[in-house]
Formats: sequence, C-alpha cells, structure tokens
Amino acid sequence: MSDAYSEESTGEGPDFLDDDAVVRRIGELIAGLFTLSVLGFLAWILATQVDYRLLRSVFPRFVEAFRLVVFIVVVSSVASVSLGTLMGLARISSSPLTGRIAKGYVEFFRGTPLLFQLFVIFFGIPRLWPPGQFPIGDWRVPAAIIGLTLNHIAYVAEAVRGGVGAVEDGQLEAARSLGMSKVQAMRKIVLPQAWRNALPAIGNDQIILVKDTSLLTVIAIPEIMSVFRNINSNQLDPWTPLVWVCLFYLLVTMSMSLAVSILERRADWSADDEVGGLRGLLSSIGKGLGRRL
Amino acid sequence: MSSGSHALVEFEGVNKYFGDVHVLKDVTLEVERQEVAVVIGPSGSGKSTLLRCTNRLEEIQSGEIRLGGDAISAPDADVNRLRQRVGMVFQSFNLFPHMTAIENIMIGPTEVKGVPEAQARERAESLLDDVGLDNQADSYPHELSGGQQQRVAIARALAMDPEVMLFDEVTSALDPELVGEVLDVMRDLAEEGMTMLVVTHEMGFAREVGDTITLMSDGRIAERTPADQFFDQPRTDRGKEFLRRLL
Ligand SMILES: Nc1ncnc2c1ncn2[C@@H]1O[C@H](COP(=O)(O)OP(=O)(O)OP(=O)(O)O)[C@@H](O)[C@H]1O
Ligand SMILES: [Mg+2]
Repeated sequence: MSDAYSEESTGEGPDFLDDDAVVRRIGELIAGLFTLSVLGFLAWILATQVDYRLLRSVFPRFVEAFRLVVFIVVVSSVASVSLGTLMGLARISSSPLTGRIAKGYVEFFRGTPLLFQLFVIFFGIPRLWPPGQFPIGDWRVPAAIIGLTLNHIAYVAEAVRGGVGAVEDGQLEAARSLGMSKVQAMRKIVLPQAWRNALPAIGNDQIILVKDTSLLTVIAIPEIMSVFRNINSNQLDPWTPLVWVCLFYLLVTMSMSLAVSILERRADWSADDEVGGLRGLLSSIGKGLGRRL
Repeated sequence: MSSGSHALVEFEGVNKYFGDVHVLKDVTLEVERQEVAVVIGPSGSGKSTLLRCTNRLEEIQSGEIRLGGDAISAPDADVNRLRQRVGMVFQSFNLFPHMTAIENIMIGPTEVKGVPEAQARERAESLLDDVGLDNQADSYPHELSGGQQQRVAIARALAMDPEVMLFDEVTSALDPELVGEVLDVMRDLAEEGMTMLVVTHEMGFAREVGDTITLMSDGRIAERTPADQFFDQPRTDRGKEFLRRLL
C-alpha cells in the first residue's frame, strides 16, 4: 500500500497538469484563441454588417443621447453617493429606531426591481394629483434621476456599512481613549478608513448605475438605448447603431472607473506618492490610467 | 477637583459582569501618585477588564472608580473629559493607519483640547524625540516596525498629558528583539514619576520597575505586595503558585 504515496500519483487529473509552466501555456492558448475569435467576429461584423453612411449620419443623435445620459449619471451619482453615505451611517446608528428605518429602506430598494421603482415614480406619483394638475411639465428626467438616486442610495449605504464594519474596533477605542467624542472619533478616525474600505464597492455600484440608465428607455427618455431602438425600427439595421451604443457606454463606464481609481489612490495612505495639490492629482490620474490600461 | 489625601486611582467594591459572567469581583484597589502598579495573573483573570474600566471603555455594574477623587464611574460623569486624564496603550498598538506618526500624536491635543496646530506639532516632535523616533515623524504606521509603532502609541497617549498611564500587555505582540526598546521607554516614564498601571508578562520589568505587584485571580485581587517583596516571599498561596508556574 505504501506505493500509493509514490511521486507519480499526486493528484486526480492527468500528470502533465502538475507542471506550472504547462498549465500556464494552456491558459494562454485558450485566452488567445478566445480573443482571436472575438476579434474575428467583430471584424466580420464591421466589414459586412455596418452601414458606414448611416453610422456617420446617426452620430449626432447618439451624442445628444450621450450628453443626456452623462447629465443624469452625474447628478444621480453625486446624490446617491452623498445621501447613501448618510444612509449607511444611519444604518449603523446606535439608535435602534434610526437603524431600523435605514434597514427598511435598504431592504425595500434592494428587494424590488429598479424598473418597478421607476414606474412608481414616473407613472404613479403624477396620478396623486387631479388630472392635469401635476406641477412638473416634463417629469421624465426628474423621475429618472430620483429613481436612480433612491435605488443606488441603498447600495452605497450597504457599501459604507461594510466599510465601517471593516475598521478594527481598536481604532474607535484608541480614539475614545484620547477623549474624543463619538462624533469626533467617527469623523477623524473611523470614516476616513471606512471610506477607503468602501470605495471599491461604491465604484462597482456607480458603474452599475451607468448601465441602469439603459432602463430609462421605458419611461421615454431619449437616452442611448432609445436612440438605438428608434434607428433599428426605422432602418431595420441593428448592427450599425449598436456600434455607437457600445462605444458610448464604454466611454461613460470607463470614465467612471477611472474616476473611482483616482479616488481610491487618493484615499490610500499606503500608496507611495504624494496626494496633495495639483501634482498629486495629476500623478493620481496617471496612476489611475496606468491601472486601467 | 483632586485633593491630596486621595490615592490617584481608587477602585472601591467594583463589580463587573459580561452578561452572566462575573469578571471583576468586589475589587478594591488604590494606586498612589507616581506608583508603578504591575498587574499580573492568569489569562482570563480580569486584568484587561480592570484597565478598561479605569478609562471607562467598559461600564461597571456596582462600586466606584475614582480618579483624583472624581468618580469616573458615575453615570453623569463627563467621560470624554475624564478619559483625557487617562492614557491608554494597547497590545495591538491601534495607531491610526491613515495618519503619519506625528499626526497620530497631534490629533488628540488638536481635536480634543483645541491646542493650536503649531504648538501641538512642537510638543509632538519633542515626544517623538523622547521615544527615540525623531527621524520617523512623517512615516505612516505601516512603514514602522512593531516596536516603533508601540513607541508612537505611547507618545500619542502622553501628548494628552494624562495623570495616569494604562499599559495592557503592550509588548506581547512584538518580536522578542523589539520588546526591549518599548520597555526602555516605559522605564524612563516611570523614572520621571508617571503613575502607571501595567499589565505585563515581563517579570524582569515587573521586578525592576514595578513598585507594587497586583496579582489577579478569577476576577479578584489575590495579592498586592511591594514588588521587591513579591518575587522573594509572596504572601499568599496564589502568589507562591503563580511564581512556581513561572519557573
Ligand atoms: N467583551 C467581552 N464580552 C464577554 N466576555 C468578555 C469580554 N471581554 C472579556 N470577557 C471575559 O472576561 C474575563 C476576563 O477577561 P480579561 O480580558 O479581562 O482577562 P485578562 O486577564 O486580560 O486575560 P488575558 O491574559 O488573556 O488578556 C474572561 O473570562 C473573558 O472571557
Ligand atoms: Mg488581557
């Protein structure tokens, strides 16, 4: 039986998979083949399916939609991150009432689809007034911003709660031992660390927020997907507008993740560059870009 | 405030429970000004809890704890004010990782006492000098060794000009070769006349620097004897047994 422990039989799979270099080569081969086939498919689409005259002529319509999306994203993003941070703090409040209300909020907005929430706000709210009396003429964009913000407050709150939870108990104890009040200890000691901990999760959520704008097509907002649907149904040509859809979404999401990685660098005290002033900002942008590419 | 007739730190009939667990049992203890009171005892005997009650990181259920005659444990005590008078150093340093060494030391005085920035910096520089780290002012904690971090933590506590310093196994998390530099700082502090409550397993330090030994056992103070006497002729059986186990 002692033979069973001999050198050859180390694992379950075939023996050649025990060699790191071989496994790595196989991985590279698969990744390479995959990339080649995707690129080939793309090239084939671009060569055979895309109408370049149409591509050029619809460009301005996408730019317009893109600008609207950027506006909605920026407003909802700033609002959801700042209010979400407050909601996260309410969530961990030592007052059980505040804590429970915040928990209820989070459960509701994470537990129902964004589409449902948008319908409630867009269709439901104006009906609370007598017909024709609703004071806001074009309710689409405000409804979109309110819906996205309310929804993403819940996710940011959870990220902040996790970020605070990841700060060691000893930090608060050390701060309180110096005589800091709870509020001082939170502001100066716990939150800066919690913010760093929470940033990756907040960044993920904000990228999802960008993609969530595609749902706004159902409340008749002329955003990127709406423009696509319009062109596709008139021209019966999906591939041409899809090129712009893809490029414009990537433009927003990649700017967003660049912004997040800059913030992450600036919040990271163990990063080895200076963070203050313009030099620091520029170097953060450089490093942020470097990490993306 | 403080009248000279009191001991600096007084525990009187203190009882502390964690749920059903009775952790401090009727503890009465007086620590005089400038005394170095070393607290020893087996794991779980309540040493950390004793220290943590002293600056009210833990609440007690009965009895009273006084600092210079002021009741720390009173329900209406101004905790933030009283804590400024008690410095605490932890086993795990608990430096603020997002601040440099000097910022760690300055944050207490500037934030809590409203000391002007420049004045706080000057004081912090001199404290860094005292603990032998004048060249590490701008280092972040993660750039420092454990021994260096613990010395910054001591300086951070001292920056508040506390009346008493609490040390809870402050060398237990250190590599053996780094223990000495921290004990040296504590020894200097004792020589300058700081009142100290020190939980430690370093018996050499206890014997040499300690004025009194307080042996805790199962939540009670089993023995409290001058340090030079304790190691040669402990008064209680628990003391004898404790020393026997050390050997
Ligand atoms: N936060 C807590 N919740 C519940 N029980 C606790 C808590 N902290 C301490 N205890 C219990 O109180 C008792 C005393 O703990 P304490 O930490 O004061 O002991 P110690 O003498 O410092 O031990 P050690 O040498 O291991 O540090 C132990 O039984 C411990 O399990
Ligand atoms: Mg302990």
